[in-house]
Amino acid sequence: MMDRTTIKNSKNFTRVADIIESLTINPNPDSVGVLEEIGTNSSIDEVRELTSKALVKRNEHDSLSVVITNKGKGINDLSTVVAMSTINELLSLENKEVAMGILENTISGEFEEEVKENARSVKALMALS
Amino acid sequence: MSTIEKITQLSHRIFNTSVTEQNVARTSNPFAASNFQKNILTEDVFESSKGNHDAGNISFTGRLSAGSKRIYSTFVGSLGNIGNRISEGIESVVAFCGKVRDSFVNTWNKIQELGNKEVTLDGTMEVLGRDIKTFFHGGNTREKEIAKMAAMDPRGEVAPMLTDGIAALEAEFTKAA
Repeated sequence: MMDRTTIKNSKNFTRVADIIESLTINPNPDSVGVLEEIGTNSSIDEVRELTSKALVKRNEHDSLSVVITNKGKGINDLSTVVAMSTINELLSLENKEVAMGILENTISGEFEEEVKENARSVKALMALS
Repeated sequence: MSTIEKITQLSHRIFNTSVTEQNVARTSNPFAASNFQKNILTEDVFESSKGNHDAGNISFTGRLSAGSKRIYSTFVGSLGNIGNRISEGIESVVAFCGKVRDSFVNTWNKIQELGNKEVTLDGTMEVLGRDIKTFFHGGNTREKEIAKMAAMDPRGEVAPMLTDGIAALEAEFTKAA
């Protein structure tokens, strides 16, 4: 299996990173759907990591919901690297208001206990940061 | 001649160097006495003849005329003041690079005027002939591309590009695994 450095030095990875970066700043709300459908379902951890970070950077309700409330995506990703990178990006947000609102709704909503538990932990971290 | 006489003559030649030195032609070469076989080296001893055997290789010593060598010496000399220019901080980096380029181009033109046709530096000239500012705009190409894609339709245009990009990456990833 290729290590992370090898993948990140690949021209194909640079191309994918550029496309994801463009979807981060694209004002069209359809960008969130594209990132969710294609990026977060990739089999490559590094692509899912980039996608999750892009969704957090958009700092919109829909984009943050994808990485907070979906099992297996964002902070709930099976890859520790992807989950931690997403949490780190959430902690780096200048305006955490929208994210905090979604975390609270997740904790009190109808979600799997695992998802709610992760949301509780991230909310605690964000409150401290 | 007896054996003893031969040995005597030989020892005389070995230990009495003044006898053999008389045969050495004195010239202005200070290393004349130490030359092999008492011959003055009149050719450039540092000039390698190896390159002449291989016609495919470029030899700066074998194929260039003396006139060419002088011209290249002038060319190298024209670049010899670079260190001082930088340390003195007289010019900005951009202006300085522009002058270096101009110096190179002028020297090259002079070489061409003199009718020297032995060297082809087409690739180098292409790079050095470019506007110096183009070297500093190369890094923006990626950003321009990202900005261009950010203005596209996410579903109609960007989604297929992302799908193809990830497919290519996965193919590369699988191939290398």
